[in-house]
Amino acid sequence: MNRISRLLGTVGAAALTVVSASPAFASGTASGTSITNTVTVQYQVGGVSQTATGASDTFKVDRKINVTVAEVGSTATDVSPGATAQVTTFTVTNNSNAALDFALVAAQQTGGAAAFAGTDSFDATNVKIYVDTNTNGVYDPGTDLEVAYLDELAADASKTVFVVADIPLSLGSTDVATVSLQATGREGGTAASMGGALSQTNTSAANEVDPMFVDTVFADVAGAVDGARDGAHSAKDDFKVLAAALSISKLSRVVSDPFNGTSNPKAIPGATIEYCIVVENATGSATASSVAISDPLPGTVTYDGGGVFLDGTVTSGACNADGTNTGAHAAGVVTGTLSSVAAGETKTLRFRATIN
Amino acid sequence: MNRFMIAALGAALASLAPAAALAQVSPIELKGDVKVDTVVVENGKETHVLVEPKLVVPGDDLVFSTSYRNNGATPVKDFVVTNPLPTAVMLAPEGADKLVVSVDGGKTFGALSALSVAGTEGKARPAVAADVTHIRWILPVLAPGSTGKLTYHAIVR
Repeated sequence: MNRISRLLGTVGAAALTVVSASPAFASGTASGTSITNTVTVQYQVGGVSQTATGASDTFKVDRKINVTVAEVGSTATDVSPGATAQVTTFTVTNNSNAALDFALVAAQQTGGAAAFAGTDSFDATNVKIYVDTNTNGVYDPGTDLEVAYLDELAADASKTVFVVADIPLSLGSTDVATVSLQATGREGGTAASMGGALSQTNTSAANEVDPMFVDTVFADVAGAVDGARDGAHSAKDDFKVLAAALSISKLSRVVSDPFNGTSNPKAIPGATIEYCIVVENATGSATASSVAISDPLPGTVTYDGGGVFLDGTVTSGACNADGTNTGAHAAGVVTGTLSSVAAGETKTLRFRATIN
Repeated sequence: MNRFMIAALGAALASLAPAAALAQVSPIELKGDVKVDTVVVENGKETHVLVEPKLVVPGDDLVFSTSYRNNGATPVKDFVVTNPLPTAVMLAPEGADKLVVSVDGGKTFGALSALSVAGTEGKARPAVAADVTHIRWILPVLAPGSTGKLTYHAIVR
């Protein structure tokens, strides 16, 4: 990288144009490619044309090991407490000029800044690595295979890798679990088995090697949890807990009494009371689904049989006379289930009763 | 190392009687060489060092050179050196404009800035160093005993 950046630095924009115009692969000439410079010379001696050719010694392009692990989406994965098989997505790209295997390791961070926002505060459980077997970019349970390494990834080829984990219960909306995925280059060449560890062959000046010998050079940059030029790269992603934050209040108003009717009614025996249970989910929370409401009536009132209305709305703190009559009443207990309450949304359960 | 002998002449030339003697003892000695141009940073100063191509990876800067010498007793005229670039390298942009190059496989030669290649959608675009396929040097005359070295920088693709 040093070499290239120096070159770009000195020749500026023109060189960048050159690079983009080059038809070569991003990873460059395949390792083991022989390079020989041959010249042809034509000249005249005493008016007679002659030809000669000459060539430099041949050398071979060495093997450059470079891998990039990137998190996909640049955002945390929102998870609910207790959720299973939650997915973070990465890509692993072989920027080496040779086909290689890549060992994959998913690790949990312990404390410290999260990949995107907040602080790592818990560990996910049952962490597994899957490869996007059907290459659709989406984790498909049962289709995408669990792996410990990527097999025979060609130069410039890329694979999508999923880190899948379970989320413990009893977590709040500020909790984050940061996971990292590291891919380490391994010897390629044998399909369906992970090749041996790679090692650089140019690590000491004393290690004199033949130009025809294909050396191995680590050319990767530092990743999230690994160093530069170690034949590996890594990236981090977050599981961010997004819990529902429900607040519940119960409103009541006197609708009518036997003497005043609906005009300024009083809560006297025989009066009709409207109860309204308001469920509000705070902005920025997860959507709460199947919110079951159960309201045992006190012995002093009796359900009037007029219906239990669900999914009503609230205007300026007062319940509107809307919703659908899909709740139930049995043995002095009013019940109903709100199918979902999204973040920032307010829904009601509303019914009437009479004072005994 | 980096030595080679003249790979010489075809039967056609050899059949020309006056040329035959000369052809067998070519007066021209050529010597090709390649080095890797590495940058060594010492005390904050960058120094270029040419090393043997033991370790070469894509992006490396190579210096190819061809040394010539006229070992004959008579001047050599119209000395034309044609150097096709190895396919795995591209001409370094630095200094490319000082060479006579071809971007069409050696059919036509000229300064890089005067050449163009087919771009996208059939429109020609100005040629860049990466398009260069051949380099040519022309020396009008080589006096007996004269020597020289022709070099170019290239980057491993």
